Amino acid sequence: MGVSKGDDMLITEIKAGNDMAFETMVLKYRPKLMSVLIGYTKSKDQAEELCQKTFMIVWQKIDTFKGESSLFTWIYRIGINLAKNDFTSSFFKNSKITDRLDHNQHDMPEHRSPETELMAAESEEKIMQFIQNLDLDTKTAFTLREIEGKTYNEISKILNCPIGTVRSRIFRARQLILEFMNQENILNG
Amino acid sequence: MDKDLEKLSALYDGELKRNEMQEILKEMDSNQDLKNTFKKFGVISDLMQRNSARQSSKITYLRNFYKKINPVVTNMATAAATVLLTLIVLYQFDEDRFQVNRESSLQLSSAISSDQAKIQLLNADQNIMEHMIHIMQSNQSHKSQQVSKNWIPVGFSVNPNNPNQYSNGRNNLFFHLENKQLGIKKVKYFKANNDWVYLIPLKDGRLLTAYGDIPPSIADQMIQSIYQRN
Repeated sequence: MGVSKGDDMLITEIKAGNDMAFETMVLKYRPKLMSVLIGYTKSKDQAEELCQKTFMIVWQKIDTFKGESSLFTWIYRIGINLAKNDFTSSFFKNSKITDRLDHNQHDMPEHRSPETELMAAESEEKIMQFIQNLDLDTKTAFTLREIEGKTYNEISKILNCPIGTVRSRIFRARQLILEFMNQENILNG
Repeated sequence: MDKDLEKLSALYDGELKRNEMQEILKEMDSNQDLKNTFKKFGVISDLMQRNSARQSSKITYLRNFYKKINPVVTNMATAAATVLLTLIVLYQFDEDRFQVNRESSLQLSSAISSDQAKIQLLNADQNIMEHMIHIMQSNQSHKSQQVSKNWIPVGFSVNPNNPNQYSNGRNNLFFHLENKQLGIKKVKYFKANNDWVYLIPLKDGRLLTAYGDIPPSIADQMIQSIYQRN
């Protein structure tokens, strides 16, 4: 699983009460968590429920996150523990929910169902093929980031180019993939 | 707009300075399009990682499959699968791109260390994976007359004791020819331990696989020569 080494500032912002930072974290890690939970529970509905609960706990416990593991590893452990414990609706009755959560200030991002689940296998293949055909510089930077979890600084040393170039190439890869998804009408709407 | 999106991409990677991050978070707060785009970054990332994991499972499956169907080839198939796992995908290039980015691709070879990355880069190249296993399993003698003399690099000659082997005294080279191209449109090459494997689609529709301890500096000339004369 790819890890993000650069979530420190996002965490700082979340701890400082920045709602958008929290939502950003959810947007970022929800698809990965959903994949894990669907794999674990074999049920999309159950996975959805566990995912929501996971992020609620993350919100409650973020102050206790010490950064000893990556943020996603921490979130993942919470999600898997919830799944293992076969969490029931009693969770909500028995758990101490903070005022912030009571006030529902932190809506989970809107979703109909897991995004990647919505994506047909054929679409996945098309996207992977498209990525495979990206130009070498773009694909290399993007793969080192997404699969290897390298930081921009590490990638710049590996590819012997400025960090700004790495940033542009990774962005370029994402931009091209998004354009391709739009063209192919994948996950639109 | 592109600047915002580039920042968004860097935000996704946790690579923004604090002030930049605060700016873009503020922007996102009021811009649903940015949120949707950010969410799609997550989907793409998940897709990349799941496909990488799937490819890993495929190799394990293949290894187990060969064990089941034929215990005789077990060791060979296992070795092949193991080699595939250690393959380093370096480069795929067109005829007109031989000299482009060689340096960075070589740097990449030392950089890519995890199996996941290698597998990911091999993704969508299942045909190649199977082809490689086929070659490594194959006990067929590759008839020397199939190999055009034009393909042999300068300084290499056939080993009198092994008509499939060509050597310049220091490096050894083997050829394998298939009447199919496995969807390969460009030359691809890989490093497997100390050996290199070059997959060269010929203009007549066949696929030439050249392998041995010959580095790209030697192979470049060979490949160019093949294309000039083929």
